Amino acid sequence: MSHAIEVQNLTKTYPGSGDGFLAVDQINFTVDRGEIFGFLGPNGAGKSTTQRMLTTLLTPTEGQILVLGHDLAQNSYPAKRQIGLVPEESNVYTELTAWDNLMFTGRVYLMSKADRTARAEELLKDFGLWESKDVKAENFSKGMKRRLSIAMAIIHKPALLFLDEPTPGLDVQSTRAIQTLIRQLSAEGTTVFMTTHQIEEANQLCDRVAIINYGKIAAIDTPEKLKQTFQQVQSVEIAFTSSPEGLKEKLTTLPEVSTVLKIGDKWRLYTDSPPDLLPHLMRFSEREKLDIVSLNTLAPSLEDVFLQITGQQVGSVSEGPSQQKRDMRRKKGKQS
Amino acid sequence: MKNFWTRIKDELTQAWVVTLKDIKVYYLRPGMIMFGFLMPFFMFFSFSVRREMAAGEGMSRLLALTIFFTAAAAGPFIIPTERRLGTYDRLLAAPMSLFTLLLGKIAVGAFFAIVVSSIAAIVGILFLDASIAQPALMIVGIFIGSFTFSTMGLIFGSIPTRNPGDVQMPSTLIRWVLLFVSGVFVPLSEMSTVARGISYISPLTYAQDLMNHAVLGTGELALWLNLSVLFLSGIIFLLPSIKLHQRGRVLGY
Repeated sequence: MSHAIEVQNLTKTYPGSGDGFLAVDQINFTVDRGEIFGFLGPNGAGKSTTQRMLTTLLTPTEGQILVLGHDLAQNSYPAKRQIGLVPEESNVYTELTAWDNLMFTGRVYLMSKADRTARAEELLKDFGLWESKDVKAENFSKGMKRRLSIAMAIIHKPALLFLDEPTPGLDVQSTRAIQTLIRQLSAEGTTVFMTTHQIEEANQLCDRVAIINYGKIAAIDTPEKLKQTFQQVQSVEIAFTSSPEGLKEKLTTLPEVSTVLKIGDKWRLYTDSPPDLLPHLMRFSEREKLDIVSLNTLAPSLEDVFLQITGQQVGSVSEGPSQQKRDMRRKKGKQS
Repeated sequence: MKNFWTRIKDELTQAWVVTLKDIKVYYLRPGMIMFGFLMPFFMFFSFSVRREMAAGEGMSRLLALTIFFTAAAAGPFIIPTERRLGTYDRLLAAPMSLFTLLLGKIAVGAFFAIVVSSIAAIVGILFLDASIAQPALMIVGIFIGSFTFSTMGLIFGSIPTRNPGDVQMPSTLIRWVLLFVSGVFVPLSEMSTVARGISYISPLTYAQDLMNHAVLGTGELALWLNLSVLFLSGIIFLLPSIKLHQRGRVLGY
């Protein structure tokens, strides 16, 4: 059985000043059928560019894309019939009602009247929009528009669904509803390709993730395997009854500690070896007369892995190197 | 062969669905009313005030103006607006050819022009006491002219941008230039040889002459020439639209 997506040597250079900007640089990956595949990366890393090429919205400069076994460069029509797209902005027709939005999409996908009517009713009920079916989308909240946008993308029961940043800016209820929906779609056999900034969301939803950085795939694996690869970003999280001035500097001088971050009322101490750090921490709290409220050792999170791979120090954003690398990509774009 | 005809039927259905959706969404938007409905009437009245003109002559001009301005208003307004809102991506990613999508968009402008020209014709007949020499030819002319100028408007709509303002300015400018070099306000018979030569470049010249044939029963150019030029222009105008859309996919619009 072929993969849902196969990408070979995919490259995109945007025309522009000089010889352009290299956005995606010779990437290769596959997505299995039925998989939830997360495509992670910092801003400008090439996530959306890649997704736009996979959905035929953008012409690649180089490389081959097979979607559900169909070469997009040869004939994209059979692939387009089987894919659904939810872009970052909820692209619903705000002048139309929820019902009319779904009817329009169903007709564009050549569904019969009976099929699209039944499916629209099912989706609107599932998505909690049935009561608002005759309300123009301009009166919808951001979460309702998002749900309607997803409903429009799946009305024709696509085999492959592309989601661009599915949940940012949504309230907890809408986020949960969309995450549950993604799991349901996957359970029903739909392949889901999602680009996201939400690392924890990818951790909870995705079977595999790829991390793209500066236009190249930096890592690709299951979230747990990626975390195992980065054991050096383990940490100890400790909360004291008080946080006297200069505490951070003192914690930083402890043996085995590489980085200290203040997270809410807690301190996170990154270390290669939590067991070796714990006795030092106990002695430190006695010496400084600080009562410990809680103490936890933490395995590396996917966010830690992401920050390590993208070259950013945990808990900080380093603009300098990023800018330098972006300049290099422009240079490389000029050479190619 | 059956598959071929099924596909053609499917694509025509999709084009029609796009047209109906756009009619519902955009016909009453201020941009469409301003540039598509009010502008041709403003232009007509501003150039007609204090000029001696027979009713039929006035009606012929008004029809040519409405076909030209109204049909060409839809493309430059709708496509950049949809690009900005992200709804155009939904159409580009749908299982239909680019030609089908463009056909749907052309029909939106053309039907708008047909409706507005019909209003102009009714105004002319009822209030200007104009009589129509060849009603059937007028209907054919309105249809062909509307589709041709809607296709022309599509060229501007196809410019890769997400800002309708970037497109409105050049499209309005070019429409005005075409208006002034065509035989709408100065009849072809009164033009100098050079001006007349220039006017032949503009498809509006042929639309105006066609309307003269239909309303007044006489024109400067052969009827077959007017119809052929308008029909061929409509096809030729599609080519830059397709090229600009392909360019948009390279640039990321």
